[in-house]
Amino acid sequence: MASQDEGFLEDFRDALEGLQLNSRFEIQNLTMIARESTEEALVISQALQDHIKRAAPHKKLPALYVLDSIVKNVGTPYTIFFGKRLYNTFMEAYASVDMATRRKMDEMLKTWKEPIPGSIDTRPVFAPDVTRPIENALMQARASGNQQLRRMMGPGRQMPQGVPYRDSPTPPAARPPSQSNGGYIGGPPPIPGVNNAPYGQHGQPPPAQYPYHQPPSSQSTPQPPANIPAFQPPYHGSYGMAAQPTISTDALKEDIQGLITAFRAEFARNPQDPSIQSKLKALLDLQGILQAQNLPQDQLVLIKNQIAGLAVTIRAPPAQTPTPVPISQPVAVAPPPAAAPKVSIDSILGSGALAALLARGSGTPQASTPQPPPATVAIRSPPPQRAEPQQSAAPADPMALLGMLRKAGMLTAATPSSGSTPVPSLTPTVPLPFPPPGIPTGPPSMDNFTGDIAFNALSLKQFRPHLVPLMFEALGPQCTHCGRRFKTDDEGKKKKMAHMDWHFKVNQRIAEAEKSGQHRSWFVDETDWINTRETIDEDRIAAPGDASGTQGSSSKTPNLHYIPVPSDPVLKNSVCPICQENFKQIYLDDAGDWVWEDAINVDGRIYHASCHQEVTGNVAGVGTSNPYTRGTPEPVLGKRKAEDELAGLRGKMKLETA
Amino acid sequence: MSIPGLGQFSSAATTAASAAAASASAITTISLQPFWEYRFEVPFSSSLTIRLLSGTAEKDGTELAPKNPYTFSGTKSKINTWLGCELEVTSDNPGAYDAYTAEHAADESPLVSYLNLHMKLEGLRSTAAKAMNTEAMGPRVLVVGPDASGKTSLAKMLTAWATRMGRQPLVVNTDPTEGILSLPGTLSAAVFATLMDVTTEWGGTPTSGPAGIPVKLPLAYYYGLERPDQNPKLFRSLLSRLAAASTSRLSEDPDVRHSGMVIDSAAVDASKPGDLDILAHIVAEFSANIVVSLGSERVTAELARRFAGQKTSLGEEIAVVGLDKSSGVAERDAAFMQRVREKAIKEYFFGDAKKNLSPGTQNIGFESVTAWKVAEAPDSTSAEDDDDFYDPGATDSVVEKVEPSDMMLNCTLAVMYAGTRDPPDAIRDANVMGFVYITDVDEKKKRLKVLAPVNARLGDRPLLWGSWPEPMVSLLG
Repeated sequence: MASQDEGFLEDFRDALEGLQLNSRFEIQNLTMIARESTEEALVISQALQDHIKRAAPHKKLPALYVLDSIVKNVGTPYTIFFGKRLYNTFMEAYASVDMATRRKMDEMLKTWKEPIPGSIDTRPVFAPDVTRPIENALMQARASGNQQLRRMMGPGRQMPQGVPYRDSPTPPAARPPSQSNGGYIGGPPPIPGVNNAPYGQHGQPPPAQYPYHQPPSSQSTPQPPANIPAFQPPYHGSYGMAAQPTISTDALKEDIQGLITAFRAEFARNPQDPSIQSKLKALLDLQGILQAQNLPQDQLVLIKNQIAGLAVTIRAPPAQTPTPVPISQPVAVAPPPAAAPKVSIDSILGSGALAALLARGSGTPQASTPQPPPATVAIRSPPPQRAEPQQSAAPADPMALLGMLRKAGMLTAATPSSGSTPVPSLTPTVPLPFPPPGIPTGPPSMDNFTGDIAFNALSLKQFRPHLVPLMFEALGPQCTHCGRRFKTDDEGKKKKMAHMDWHFKVNQRIAEAEKSGQHRSWFVDETDWINTRETIDEDRIAAPGDASGTQGSSSKTPNLHYIPVPSDPVLKNSVCPICQENFKQIYLDDAGDWVWEDAINVDGRIYHASCHQEVTGNVAGVGTSNPYTRGTPEPVLGKRKAEDELAGLRGKMKLETA
Repeated sequence: MSIPGLGQFSSAATTAASAAAASASAITTISLQPFWEYRFEVPFSSSLTIRLLSGTAEKDGTELAPKNPYTFSGTKSKINTWLGCELEVTSDNPGAYDAYTAEHAADESPLVSYLNLHMKLEGLRSTAAKAMNTEAMGPRVLVVGPDASGKTSLAKMLTAWATRMGRQPLVVNTDPTEGILSLPGTLSAAVFATLMDVTTEWGGTPTSGPAGIPVKLPLAYYYGLERPDQNPKLFRSLLSRLAAASTSRLSEDPDVRHSGMVIDSAAVDASKPGDLDILAHIVAEFSANIVVSLGSERVTAELARRFAGQKTSLGEEIAVVGLDKSSGVAERDAAFMQRVREKAIKEYFFGDAKKNLSPGTQNIGFESVTAWKVAEAPDSTSAEDDDDFYDPGATDSVVEKVEPSDMMLNCTLAVMYAGTRDPPDAIRDANVMGFVYITDVDEKKKRLKVLAPVNARLGDRPLLWGSWPEPMVSLLG
């Protein structure tokens, strides 16, 4: 059953990977998979959102269209799953695509605020509290540009454009703009913390119990009351300056100071956690920048949003903190100006944004529209192009810092990992009396946590809540296939990649193996067992050459050459043509198969690799220095022993000469 | 409001697990709060599929992957959670299984002390890994206790937790009653560097094909009897062999050395000095420095007295700590255990639900079979014989050569890594290559029909024949 699940998910992922263009057929196909697997909706929605996050900028829009198609044609539960992370998914994609794509995303967003055309359900595709934060953020970004730009953007956004792939009877965008926004004009004022909606699901305990929680001013939404006019159609242009003094640097500084205090406390509790340390450092840097520079509003908004997300992280009890999932976001990497502290809208929306907008005088069907030149350039090499107007990437750059914050996993709460579906109402029962008495806070070490545990029943029975997270989130998020945890640092990522690779290859081999019969293997013999080294997620078949570079712990056997035991019965009984002896069969865990060690296949004939080398003289020295001749028959037992030694020695020599 | 995958919307009562089991619906959603356990018993005839909907949950220390289905059959076990979780339980026969939720508080759960123990061990492992002395060894933990005290579960938990933290502990089974990665009647050892398959006891062993969950490589020695006291001499001799191989592995494999060992043991009866002698032998042979005694104050006291002041071969104190047994240890009666053994043999030859294996059947003449019988030889002199250590010089016949006969029918014999002309001691001390099952004996034609895992000639390998596991009449039925 597990393999089936993996299979369909694999299919879904593959199809997504293959989705390059806005292809109606492929999108329908993916929608179909989603429709037929609603019981796997969580996994699918995660896979899709992850894909959108990871995909190259030019592949993001088709993937977003898949999301759009699924929510419109399938609906719940996908709407709920996507809704949770929609803000992040949308905003991250928005930040990394070109202007033309952004406008299509704007169009799509507009349709999400309305009922599905032709449907009897009068509710919007996504609930207003899902779409509103996105709109607000987009407006914020736009509002920070100049008036003219905003005027230009307005008409651009209301361009009616058909979305060709959709099944829904009515093209969703073919509506007058007044209607599309009308519903929100008289709508409720923004709820404080509305931008935190995606984080809200984590069920933070009441803020009051956290001394470092900030005064209401800092708690407030990134959209202060002055911003209410922003809910009008953006091209209205009447709220211009009023929207500017929205975020006070002082409040932000206060926020950051509060977080720094909180993280210091956290660091004292978890000195072994490098991520806390890096977060703390990033925060301190950010504070320095804020004090040194006068940042424009749009930058402040971004920082504010990050901080808000961070505050949620630190506020949630550790037992529940979702594991950090670092986000790669091209815009964060783009080095904006250091020389000019006034960061332009270009650094957020991409260079050429203005030009692209100007070029888009009238609406044209999206699929066939030739890209305006600047935008095209932006697609091909986004970060450098965006950085074009600026000369240097100074470390003091706020955008880079935001990138650091992301890297450090500070956006955690915003992007819950697959394994961290929250279980509200359960976790608060775990008391967290940090730090427990007797735990020294010193250099990171396991001893610091276990030093107070003694080998007696009394000490062992005492519950130490701070130990539990060490078994879970401190180890990183779970692999969705098998549940193994991987840290999110560089090493963990590397391991995770190798691990996913391994899953993939093994699944392939399982599919192949099911066609032929399998059988239980003999256990290995004592000597082989002692010399076996466990390998984890390695596939030696893929890289047989690198064994010489790895140290003893990771190389399974000293032999560099092996081939899978042939399935052909004739070949299986073949002997080495040079020495006329059988091949030694061993089980290689990482190959997942029985192999003949020290064997190579040369033009369809199988030789002992060492014999072949001796004869062909490929490796100088082996032929002459090898004192072992393989021609002497020996009694059964003796032979086994001798061969073991021989194989070992041969392997060693090869390692030396390789 | 119930939405697939969104457990928190479920308004179902959190405690109604067993009640729900009897309800008409085959699918039940169960919410567990931290420290709660979902205990279930599934007969061999039906299956139970558990999926983790949200939160975190583990079975014997191994975490369940979110949303993946885990199917159990013929199992009495439990799923526990540290942080709370929602499980979806699907049964193919809702009336057949039995389940309930044990609602522990933090100070009631024996798992708390197990976790503390693990963390303590982890501290020792990390010290060993960081030590300047390259010979520094991680902890060697021996788990002891009376019957049904949860020894094997604790061993499994400690192993799984260590593995989760990136360790590679060596798991040693010194309980011939049940096998670890091998059949009952064997003593075995294996390094666990990767996850266990939670739907099986300890995971799988290598097959000719790939495995979705990495297999483990066991080293096994054949004892062929149920309890250590049935042939203490042989038992000790095999323990010494196993310990020698294990120690070699540890000394050559730094990852394993730093992780140490987890040693499971046979049920101990504190009133039998012989049982305690065996434990002392294990401690000495494996240089165990931590003895965890479950569920018996008497055993704890006896062992504490015995090891007081003693040091391991590495000069460490031997710590004896008594812990409560898990209240959830299910009573597994003789009939159930017999089915478990049968299942183990079946799986060895035929694989499990996830993977079908094709064993080979062979017709062999009596003349090409060399079989040795392991007989019982209770230690009559143990009272006056203080020597805990096996003396190789004193060996008399622990195994004797036998002709194939009707008696072998339905028996499982071990194929040994030895030659047919080797002396009895060499055969007895050799490690196990695999097992064969005798499906038919024709005494007139002098032929045996043998089920072997690999469809190939057995070659010149001697077979060892014991009385454990017992003959399985219905294995092929």
